[in-house]
Amino acid sequence: MAEEYAGPIIQMRHVDKHFGQLHVLKDINLEVAKGEVVVLIGPSGSGKSTLCRTINRLETIDSGEILFQGVKLPEEGKELAALRAEIGMVFQSFNLFAHKTILDNVTMGPVEVLHRPRKEAEAEAMELLARVGVAEQAAKVPAQLSGGQQQRVAIARSLAMHPKAMLFDEPTSALDPEMINEVLDVMVELARQGMTMVVVTHEMNFARRVANRVVFMADGQIVEQNTPDEFFDHPQSERAKDFLDSIKGH
Amino acid sequence: MGVAEVFTEFGDIYLQSVLSTWLMTAVCFAGGLLLGIVATVMRVSPLKPLRVVGDVYVQLFRNIPTVSLLVIFVYALPYLGATLPYRTCLIACVILIVSAFASENFMSGINAIGVGQIEAARSIGLSFTQIIRHVVIPQSLRTTVLPMTNLLIATLLTTAMGSQVPLKPPELTGMVNYVNSRSVAGISAFVVSAICYAGTSVVLGFLGNLLDKKVRIIR
Ligand SMILES: Nc1ncnc2c1ncn2[C@@H]1O[C@H](COP(=O)(O)OP(=O)(O)O)[C@@H](O)[C@H]1O
Ligand SMILES: [Mg+2]
Repeated sequence: MAEEYAGPIIQMRHVDKHFGQLHVLKDINLEVAKGEVVVLIGPSGSGKSTLCRTINRLETIDSGEILFQGVKLPEEGKELAALRAEIGMVFQSFNLFAHKTILDNVTMGPVEVLHRPRKEAEAEAMELLARVGVAEQAAKVPAQLSGGQQQRVAIARSLAMHPKAMLFDEPTSALDPEMINEVLDVMVELARQGMTMVVVTHEMNFARRVANRVVFMADGQIVEQNTPDEFFDHPQSERAKDFLDSIKGH
Repeated sequence: MGVAEVFTEFGDIYLQSVLSTWLMTAVCFAGGLLLGIVATVMRVSPLKPLRVVGDVYVQLFRNIPTVSLLVIFVYALPYLGATLPYRTCLIACVILIVSAFASENFMSGINAIGVGQIEAARSIGLSFTQIIRHVVIPQSLRTTVLPMTNLLIATLLTTAMGSQVPLKPPELTGMVNYVNSRSVAGISAFVVSAICYAGTSVVLGFLGNLLDKKVRIIR
């Protein structure tokens, strides 16, 4: 069964996508192995978010195929919901449920989707909240937390589903600088524990510490990919060089 | 006849008409909310035909005068073989109109939720119905308490349409005719009804404010 599947967790083959006239993903081929951490990097508008979002089908694709654990993504309905339950997603803007307490944010998925008994789900949620360092905030609502705390709750909410892989779309870009590390630390820990991760981020230190591979995108294409040290120290393409100069500038 | 005499002479039946107005308001508002939720769910559903039906429904009943709708129910439906009791006609009309406005309120509440939360809900595997139930409805209910309070007051005032059909007991506006056809109360009967409407509205407005403070979502 799926548990024994040993091939790449995520496979994208010849994926193309347009938004109207705009060609946002051009012949994307990408594989992510179990336990691998892939950092997606590239200029704004290059299609990183879109790529990420096609993996759990928040965006549909025009052609090509995407496989998750060797199985083509379902188009819609129950199968699609079940697939999404297996892929965690963390957004730039946290997107916690504003009307729910922190605890209820984390238990909603396990209770409603996995049909776990509430008590059990709450106990696990408290463990997860402790793990990301916000257990004391469990009874509050999202707006009462700092951005860094909210993002850590969002990570806990994803983890509560026991995902097989996690997608992070610029998880620290909306944070004040002093809060970036508290979120990155949680992500580093996750990577160390073997979570399969696709991370859109410009945090070079994070990439160097935990990424197995850096994938550089520009204009909807994968321009080059390499180990983080190779990529950051010896970029091959002009576009990557220009891009790295621009982000090192500040 | 002064206001005080109107009270002493018609006190009993006034009480009945106040209760009748309150009851109709409650029924119409509850029915309107429920139907408004249904219309709204259609309007945000992934299926285009449902969305179109929901939109047309709301446009129709938001833009038709209550009195026209009541005329249709009372005079036109019998031609189609459906003769309903007057009270049922009135309640049905008010419910339809209230539901259209309720749906507009819900839509503004939904717009305040933001697509991000919906996407987060989808990415933990919640189905469309679960998202509607656990995210969309609770949030839009809680963010629209004040406009819904206004709608409740409007519902109260709209039940005055009941004065256009014979009702037993009459509601507050019909009560004016009732009193004036039995004695010469003149303006006093109007004043008593107006006081009842205004008093009810003030209390509802106050309760609405309290509820809003209690359930409003901090964003
Ligand atoms: N929903 C959308 N509709 C139309 N255009 C979009 C939409 N989402 C993104 N785009 C466009 O697609 C391109 C790629 O966007 P995105 O994937 O967000 O890039 P990145 O995350 O690398 O900044 C951009 O030009 C963006 O404006
Ligand atoms: Mg982006």
